[in-house]
Parts: sequence; C-alpha cells; structure tokens
Amino acid sequence: MAARDQHGKSAPWSPTPGGEPQFQVVGTAQRKVDGLAKATGQALYTDDIRLPGMLHAKILRSPHAHARIRSIDCSAALALPGVHAVLTGASMPIKYGVIPWTPDENALAVDKVRFIGDEVAAVAAVDEETANEALKRIRVDYEVLPAVFAPEEALTRTDVQIHENPEKPGRGNLSKHVRLEFGDVEQGFASADVVVEGRYRFHGTTHAPIEPHCAVAQVAPDGVLTLWSATQITHYVHRALARVLELPESQIRVIQPALGGAFGGKSDPFALEFCVAKLALVTGRPVKMLWTREEVFYAHRGRHPMQLAYKTGIKRDGRLTAVDAKILIDGGAYSSFGLVTTYYSGQLLTGPYDFPAYRYDSTRVFTNKPPCGPKRGHGSVQPRFAFEVQLDELCERIGMDPIEVRRRNWHGENTQTVNGQRITSSGFLQCLEAVERASGWKQRRGRLPFGRGLGVAGSMYISGTNYPIYPNKMPQAGIQLKVDRSGLVMAFTGGNDIGQGSSTLVRSIVAEELGLDPRDVRVLAADTDLCPVDLGAYSSRVTFMVGNATIDAARKLRRLIQGAVADSWQVSPQRVFMGRGEVFDLEDRSRRISTREAFHIAEERHDTLGSTGSYNTPTLGGDYRGGTIGASPAYSFTAHAVEVQVDTETGRIRVENCWIAHDCGRAINPMLVAGQMEGSAYMGIAEALMEEHDINRHGLHAGPSLLDYRIPTSVDTPELHALIVESLDPEGPYGAKEAGEGPLHPALPAISNAVFDAVGIRLRELPFSPGKVLDLLEQRAASSPSGRLHRTPSALEEARP
Amino acid sequence: MRVLRLEINGDHHEVGAPDHWTLLEVLRYGLGLTGSKQGCDKGDCGACTVHVNGRPVLACMTLAVLTEGARITTIEGLAGEHRRRGGAGVDPLQDAFDRCGALQCGFCQPGMLMSARALLEREPDPSREQIRQALSGNLCRCTGYTQIFQAIELCAAERAGRTPAPPSWSAQPPWDARSHSAPDAEPAPGVSLPQGGR
Amino acid sequence: MLRMRPFEVVRPTTVEAAVAALIQHGPGAVPIAGGTDLLPNLKHELLGPSHLVALGGIPELFGISRGADGGLRIGAMTPLDEIAASELVRGEAAVLAQAAGLVAGPQLRRMGTLGGNVMLDTRCQWYNQTYFWRSALGFCMKKDGTVCHVVKGGSKCVAAASNDSAPALTVLGAELEFAGPAGSRRVPIQELWRADGIHNKKVESGEILVAAHLPPQPKGRRSAYGKLRERGSIDYPLFGVAVRFDLDPRGAFSDVQGAVVALAARPLELKGLAELFAGLSPEHPDFEAAVEAAGQAAYKQCHPLANIPGDAAYRRRMVPVYVKRTLRAAARGQGPVHHV
Repeated sequence: MAARDQHGKSAPWSPTPGGEPQFQVVGTAQRKVDGLAKATGQALYTDDIRLPGMLHAKILRSPHAHARIRSIDCSAALALPGVHAVLTGASMPIKYGVIPWTPDENALAVDKVRFIGDEVAAVAAVDEETANEALKRIRVDYEVLPAVFAPEEALTRTDVQIHENPEKPGRGNLSKHVRLEFGDVEQGFASADVVVEGRYRFHGTTHAPIEPHCAVAQVAPDGVLTLWSATQITHYVHRALARVLELPESQIRVIQPALGGAFGGKSDPFALEFCVAKLALVTGRPVKMLWTREEVFYAHRGRHPMQLAYKTGIKRDGRLTAVDAKILIDGGAYSSFGLVTTYYSGQLLTGPYDFPAYRYDSTRVFTNKPPCGPKRGHGSVQPRFAFEVQLDELCERIGMDPIEVRRRNWHGENTQTVNGQRITSSGFLQCLEAVERASGWKQRRGRLPFGRGLGVAGSMYISGTNYPIYPNKMPQAGIQLKVDRSGLVMAFTGGNDIGQGSSTLVRSIVAEELGLDPRDVRVLAADTDLCPVDLGAYSSRVTFMVGNATIDAARKLRRLIQGAVADSWQVSPQRVFMGRGEVFDLEDRSRRISTREAFHIAEERHDTLGSTGSYNTPTLGGDYRGGTIGASPAYSFTAHAVEVQVDTETGRIRVENCWIAHDCGRAINPMLVAGQMEGSAYMGIAEALMEEHDINRHGLHAGPSLLDYRIPTSVDTPELHALIVESLDPEGPYGAKEAGEGPLHPALPAISNAVFDAVGIRLRELPFSPGKVLDLLEQRAASSPSGRLHRTPSALEEARP
Repeated sequence: MRVLRLEINGDHHEVGAPDHWTLLEVLRYGLGLTGSKQGCDKGDCGACTVHVNGRPVLACMTLAVLTEGARITTIEGLAGEHRRRGGAGVDPLQDAFDRCGALQCGFCQPGMLMSARALLEREPDPSREQIRQALSGNLCRCTGYTQIFQAIELCAAERAGRTPAPPSWSAQPPWDARSHSAPDAEPAPGVSLPQGGR
Repeated sequence: MLRMRPFEVVRPTTVEAAVAALIQHGPGAVPIAGGTDLLPNLKHELLGPSHLVALGGIPELFGISRGADGGLRIGAMTPLDEIAASELVRGEAAVLAQAAGLVAGPQLRRMGTLGGNVMLDTRCQWYNQTYFWRSALGFCMKKDGTVCHVVKGGSKCVAAASNDSAPALTVLGAELEFAGPAGSRRVPIQELWRADGIHNKKVESGEILVAAHLPPQPKGRRSAYGKLRERGSIDYPLFGVAVRFDLDPRGAFSDVQGAVVALAARPLELKGLAELFAGLSPEHPDFEAAVEAAGQAAYKQCHPLANIPGDAAYRRRMVPVYVKRTLRAAARGQGPVHHV
C-alpha cells in the first residue's frame, strides 16, 4: 500500500483513535545504531577506505577569479613517473547542476573559470605527493578577465559576464529574480499605526564540517562503477554521474559511508566525485580523492550573503498588518541550489505569525567567488534574522512585550499562510511559554543591570517539501524490510545518515511496530544498489518522509505476521499483540511465543517475508509559479531566549544561556532531538558572533583554514538548554516533524534582541563583531543627553503602571 | 625511508616510513589504523588527537620518527587499555558518550575521547569548567558540546558512585502542545532573579 | 592531506651534536622543537629544508631548575603546559606561567616548547597560507615575492611577532642562552629582535636556543599577562601585553615595565610607564588615573597593522583596554587577562 494518498487523521501513522498509544521504543532515548562504532574508531568514513592498487587524485584549481582558458598542456605532468592519468574539462563536457533548471557547472572547467579555486584539471597518481607534483607541472594558459566581487556591482557591470546565456543576452549576471505579492501590502501599511523600515546584512558563512569531502571510485571488470562518497544525496549524485559520464544509471552504484558532518555542504554533486569516477574508468584502477581543508572552503556552497531591506506595519494592539522585503543575494560563481534559495528567502517567512499582506522581491546575483548553496536553514536564516529584529523594533515602538507580540500574531493550527502554505500542527505558543519561563523573562527582561540582557525570537521551518528537485511522481522516500528466520529484521533505506541519526530512527520505528528489541533490527542505508531511493538528507525531510515510509513498510509486515499467527492460533488478528520480543494473545496471556517463532510461522504461511514502504507528500502549495517551493507537509516551530552579557569596553558579547524550545511534533528519540537542538543553536550562535566567510579584495578566501575561519571551541560555547515541545502532527511519523534546521534560526536575532535589552543598541549586521558593538555604543553615547551609557527605560516600562 | 619501531596500543610495530611522514599519516596509511581522523592536517581542529606517553597530542603535527621509544595510544586502543586495567567491553567513557547522544557524525569523537580520557586520568571528577578547558583544542561542529560534557560528567559520576543531574531534555517531559498547557516550570536552575535594575 | 616535501631527521643527543648537524647540512637544515610552528609552515611550503635537527633527544634542553644565581633556568625544550603548571614559575614569574598557559590549546601546549615559542616565525595572513593561495596572489616579500600586501608600497616586511612568551620574558629581564658554532652566548631578550618581518631575530646559522635564564626576581615583584584573541583557545594573539610591577617594602611601586606583542615584527616595550606610576601603590587614590594615562600612552605607541587576521582598527582600540586591565591585574597579583 503506497503512502501516497494516506494522509490526515486516518493515516496509518496517526495515533490510535481512542487514546495515546503506549510506546515501547518511540519516545525513549535509544543508543544509536553506529554510536559505539564511532566511539571506538571502527566506523568507516570515506577516507578510511583503502582498495588494492588505489591511486590518489588531486585537482588543479584556478588562481584567477575570472579567466578564459586558452589551452592546457598536461604533457609534463603525464611524463612524471607515477602519474596514471590527467583529465581536463574536455573529457567531461556535459554540464550538470543539482537543480535541473540551472545546469551551469562542469566537473572541470571547459572554457572558463569563475572563481579562485574553480576546478581545472585532475591527476591520478600512485600517491598524493606525486599527484601534487604533477599538478605543478600542468601549464594552463589563461586570459584573465575582469572580475566582480560585490553583488551590486555584478548587477550593473555589463563588461563582466560570468555566465554566458545566449538565450537571455540581457540577463547580465542575474542568477534568479523572484517577486511575489500576497494581499494588499500598501493598504496594510496605510492601516498600520506604526511602520518600521530597516536594513540588515548577513556577511556569509560556511559549513565547516570536521570531515573534508572525500570520494573513492572503482570500476569492476564487468564495467559497474562504484562510487563511495561523503555525500548527503546519494540519489542525486547517482543521476549526475550517469548524466556527465554518459553511463547507464543501472551500471553505477553510489554508497555513502559514515559521514563526518555536512549541514548542506555535501548536498551538491562535486567535482571530486566526477573526477575519481572518470579517472577510475580511464586508468582501470580504484581512485581516491580527499580534499584538503582549504579545498573545502573553495567548494563552499555556504550561506548566501544577503542585504535585506524590510518594512513592517503593526497596529497598537500588536497585530501585524503588512510586511515588505527587498533582498539582494550574493550567489557566488554558480547556481547550486540558488533557484530554491531565492524562493526560500521569501517563501519561508510567513509563519509562525500571520501576515495579512506580504511582498518580497529577491534577486540572486552571480559574483566571482566560491558558489553559495544550502546551509542549515537554507535561505531562511537571513530573512528570519532581519524580520525578528525588526519585530523587536516594532515592539519597542508600540511598547509591547516581544513575547506577547509574537503570541498575538501566531497564525494558529490547521490554517493557511498568506502565501498558500498549509499549516497543520503548531506548538509555537508552548515554545514561547517554555522559553519565557525557563529564562525568567517576565521578572528579568528590561530589568537586568546595564550590560546584561534577554532577547527572544521565533521561527518556523519545513519538514521537507513538496518539491522533489527533478519533476516526477514517484515516492520521495522508499524503504525495504527483510525478515530473517534468526529473528533479525533488516531495513534497507536510501535515507542518508549524516550524523543526525536517521538510521537509528528507522531502527526505532521498525522495533516499535514489530515489537522487537532494537538490537534485533539492523539498518543498511544509502547504497543505491541495495536500498530503495530516498531523495537525500536535505531540507530536513528524512525523519518525516523516511519515518513515514518505515511505518508503512513495518505495518504491512506486522499485518502479515499477525495474520499468520492468528490463523495458527485460530483467533482474530486483533488479539495478536507484538511487543518486547514476544507475540501473545491479548485474551490469553499464557499463549505466547517469541517474535522469532512468529516469523517462522509467518514464513511458512506467506513464503519469503519482506515488505516495502514509501512516502510522498500530498499536493501542497499555493497556486502560482513557485508556490510549491517551501510547501511542506508539516512545519516545525522554534523559540529561543538568550541571555547575554556585553562588555562595553571590549564590545564583546558573551552568551551566558540559550534556551531553545522546539516543536518537533513528537520526539521519537528525545536524546537525538535534543542533540539537534543544541547543535543547531550552537551553529546559529557561532554565525552570529564569529563566523565570517570572507573573500578578500583579490577574490581569494581570506583565511581558508579552521584557524582563521573560526568556529567556537568548548570554552566559547554557552550553556544550551533544550526544551522539547510536542504538537503531534497528524501526518508526521507518530506525529514527528523536523528538528535538524529549525532550531538554528532564532539564535541570531535573539542575540541581537538581547543585546538591545542589555545596552540599547541594535545589531543589524552579522556577524556581531566586537568592533561593530563598540561603534554602536559610541553612537548611542554620543546621542544620549548625558553623553554616557545607561539603561533607559523602554517604552514598555514607561507603559507599565 | 626508515623502518620505524613504534609501540602503539600495546603492540610493537615495525613500519617503513619516510622521515617526513607525520604520525597521523603512518597510523592511517602505513598501519591501517584509521580511527584517528584528519580534519585539517595542521593542528587547528584536534580530530587527530592521540596519546603519547599518556598525554594528548596532535598526530598530524607529530613526526612519526620522533615517536620511537614513546608509548602511543590511539582511539583503537582505549578499550584495550580498559581491559588491561581489569575492565570489560569498551572504555566506560566510550559507553557514556553513546548513552548520552554525544556521537552525532562522530568524526571529531576519536580525538575528543582521547582528550577526555586524558582529563579523567588526571582529574577523575572534573568540574564542567575543567572539562571545557581540557576539550578546548577539539572542535566539534555537530553537538554544541553539551552532550559531550554530559557524557564525561556521567562517566565521572558513576565511577564516584554518584548520579549526575539529568540533562534538560529528560529533566522534564516534553511540553504538550495539544493540551495547551505546559509542565510546571520554575526558571531554570542557575537563573537568579535580579535584585533590581541599576 | 597537506603532504610535506621530503627531509631527513637527525636526532642528536647533545647540544654540540645538534650544532654540528646544523652546520654540516648548512642552510638546508633547521632545528625542530615541538614542531607546532614548523610543521604547518612546512605544510604550507614556506620553507623546504633537507634536514630537520630534532632537539627532543637532548636532556640538557629540558626542565625548570634553580640557577646558580638564584634565578630560574628554563630549558628551551620545556613544554609550555609544564611551565604553566610549574609552582616555581607561578610563584616567581607569574606572567610567564600565565602567558604559557594561554598559548594555543591544550594539545599544542603539551607539544609546544618555550624555545619554540620564543623562536616563533612571524605571522601574516598573506604569508601563512598554502603555496596555491600565495601563488594566486603573486606571493609577497617575505616569501617568493617582492610586494607587501599589508602596507601598500611598503618596503619592509611587517609580519607580526606572535609569541606570547616574548613580552613575558622581557618584563622578567630574561636572558637567552644560545649555543652555536662559535660557542655559547647569552643575550638579553630585548636584544634578540630586529624590526624585520622576514628575519626578526639576530641569530647566527647553526645556533640553537638552549635555555631562558631569569634573574632572581625581587620579592615585591608582581606580574600578569593579557591576551586578546577572538576565541578562548587555539588562536594566536591579536594583541598580547605583559606587565610587571616591583613594590618596595612599604608597598609602593619602585618600578614598572610593560611589553607588547602581535603588532609588527618585534615585541615592543611600552615607554614611559615607570614615570606614570612613580611613588604610587595599588591602593593609592591616583593609581587608577595612572592606569588610565598608561592606557593612553600605549594607544599612542601601538599601531596594529592588517597583518594578522583580525580587524586592525579594533585591535588598536583594545590596546588601552588590555593594557589597563593587565596593569590592574598585575598590581593586584592576579591575571591573566583573557576574555574566557
């Protein structure tokens, strides 16, 4: 039974009518399937793979931000002993792109390079040192072109054309433009009591996973190509390889080994994957490429720098009337997910608050810098930052508490946003209440000593979307279960476990549905030969979609097994209960067998046992172009409260506490959900305070190392308090929704808002470097009557009796 | 090229390696001990942390030839050391990490565990501040460090016969959004109410 | 991986053998202490030695001991974490223990040595990069090129001295003992430096640092270290300041000295401090005004450049803040001054 149209209250995964089901596994903290393997160093990551005769590959990169390639002379490199092959773009001329509408990348540059670090040639040699030496012998003749780094300039300069587009010659360096309006925005402003306008800036950050990208390829004697790659998207890589290498998909196998962090940075097909595959085909030997940390910075695909202008109207009673946004998005040199980014920058803001009218005008531009792409909270972290700070500014103007205003504008449950997104469950009010209580908000906000403050922010995020990247009507997630006579159930899922614990989720669900000890369930994931297709670990879709598919498959099996045992006992199937490794008759508890024995009975009855399960989203989204982008079967909700201490002499902001309340629908494994909440908050705080993906005036990344691109150490990270909220979504697996990206968003604006409470300055530009804080403090002191800084009563306090 | 005589995880190895190879290269590519990870290869991330004579150092910044005569322990050797001390199974710290959810992608964890194990050897019952300081050379991108701290505190507490305070997500049940009421919650511990503004 | 170019490692067991090995292999030989500065530079192809002369097998280079004159002798190969934890150093030379305890992160303090930190190569965001990165830029005058990317049209390299131990040793009056082909010599640490980011130390070829000698510290000496950096661990200093006060038996200041690092190519001494604090004491009502004046004086003397990564204008603003905080900490016998 396909999951395709089984949604809503009668969905197989809804809570049983008539009461809360008693779960045995769901809702408890379970160990991860791979926890001890990772803790003992046994887990196999891509660079841990070593194959007989394996060659090592390296990539030659462009030292120019923009140049035409006149010629490439590889002869000296090929002549070096130990070099087996050298590739240039000519060997893989077919373009690709993760989004099928914007295939503007080549595995190796064919005629042009578009940023410093762009891939130009690849070498396979007997070892890394020889490969490095070979790179130095490749002679590339470049015709250097003028380069453009600032997005405003890229829009206007007609002499710099980063991507030639013969079909749209007037397009210049425009990557994507989206302008959408819902409701009457001007009327909304006219009816407002207060309108605030503001400009906000986000500099740009990158993922910095601890594992650099790595890929290994091997061609079997019968021609089957196997690629192991640290990727979030085995399925899309599979398709891209077939396209670029001109091989049938059925002759390619893609496997994702244990993966050391991704956060969206490994969700494009990358040059190293195509190169090792092609080099393996050409040399007949297995080939590995491991990127250096520096190369990871060039691959980038990080969070887009944005310049955001927001205008919001509000009434004195706290109700929003209209929101207008104009956003300039710096896309870097290629499209990557940019089409989606541009839509997300507007589409994902329309909750948790009701916008009676909304308009956004977002422009993504190419520049000669490493390409931007999806980073945790793709395309929505920056707008959320701007809006939540502006919302705080509105609260100040009307003298209303920031949490109260958010309460008053909550759109509710089972409703539709102004841009046509369907909201089902929403625990946002409980999120607000949780952080309000935990932080002592009512007693402390506005009342702490000068320099110390509390801030709040809210957000909403997708649990996957309606949009399967390439148009098709097939399931977005599929899973296969195999029952073994030993009592083991094996689950095969395409879902990519990138550390978030998706394989553990699958195990928990199978164990729950079949009444097994989780140790009797094993999961094999992300092998395109063995596992049904899952679209990948991005857009926070895996818990929701793979989870639902797993329930689908497991319940089919359960019915088969219950039916067979019922037949054998000659009772009705409803009396056959599966739990805790046993199967017994609900009306005669003495009649009990082990689950393993039940499997035998079922196999005797039904022959070889197994099942498949799948999930596809219902048709969602507004009825306009782009309406499906951002349309999710369920949205998570988050609120952060943050406590900061500002050192007014150094400008340094120290986050003392961060309370994260996140509505994940249901925490199937609360320990893992808390881990996602804490990790997300950590990343948001890091982006607010210290991360800066900085391309200097030469087009070079200013510091492509983990020393210079700073992420917080254990002494830089505040106390993180995860508070789980459950709204039991009607369509989520056991009611579950996402938890991997939503909890990042509110950290950035909550810190800005807390700083305002602490010292009365508005931080509208990220990151909040100490220098910026000092500048704003100086400005504030200069404009205060006494010339000094002190806590001024807010409009809110003045309104208090 | 030299034949290096290295003592690793209690075993004596003879491995051929040139002088310019780091300990990390010899471990991973010479001996197939791939548990120690390469995150940056120049001392910025700590993923390659191993013990030399019981103290945590960075294998990517250590020349293999200069470790002859030293006692090297890698992540693969932690469980063995535990068993040599009379224990069973994995090192209790490894188990605590698993029980607390401290392993997300797991890539930083071999290095993190080596730093944590060295801390507990010096300081069997460390404060959270001491834990933070000891781990401050190991970058983690996934966890925000919280569950790592909890794992170390759990391990230390159990050894001392104590039960540590439960983490925030288990200290109270999830807030139930359907009934639109929240569990009774006082402000979190450590949050002191103000005496009044200045 | 960042593979290094091949070299041979020599493992002498005496100072003399180490010096001989350096001479024997000429300019292609460099000494290696903890390796925490050398290896990243090798991985960045900033130098390509044929031989590394390892100092870790020479016992006389290790250890903290009482000198014949009653001062402290700290062997150049003594690890930084040992110095930070040493009761002797903490008791008599607090600023050095504090500085050593703030270098980098825990693993690097175990591997890194005092000598390695004193002899640290200067740093610059345009220099401490891979060969590919530097080639994209056309290199720089410190390595393989002719241009300075920090100071437009600059003729002198302004890569920054980044060693926390240097200002600390300076205010303690340390002498450095070198051994070389011409024998042994001792030099006050202030005289080691050259204002040249390419070669900022006056060291002869074949010389190795053997030990730092601290003279006996007066009884009333108090000292502290202040370090500005973005994170609370791992990072190099964006600014470092060492301060010492000497108090006479009545508790008044008899002397004060301050030294700073992470500005340009050499550590600097702050001028004019002694006059500002003459006759005062930590409890004196004019102490705070003197601190304020000292901060302003430091601001005028210190000009951070855009050499190391980190906003130079912000670093300059922090000069008086960190100098003042470190002065206060030193006067009270506290410290270090560090945001975490």
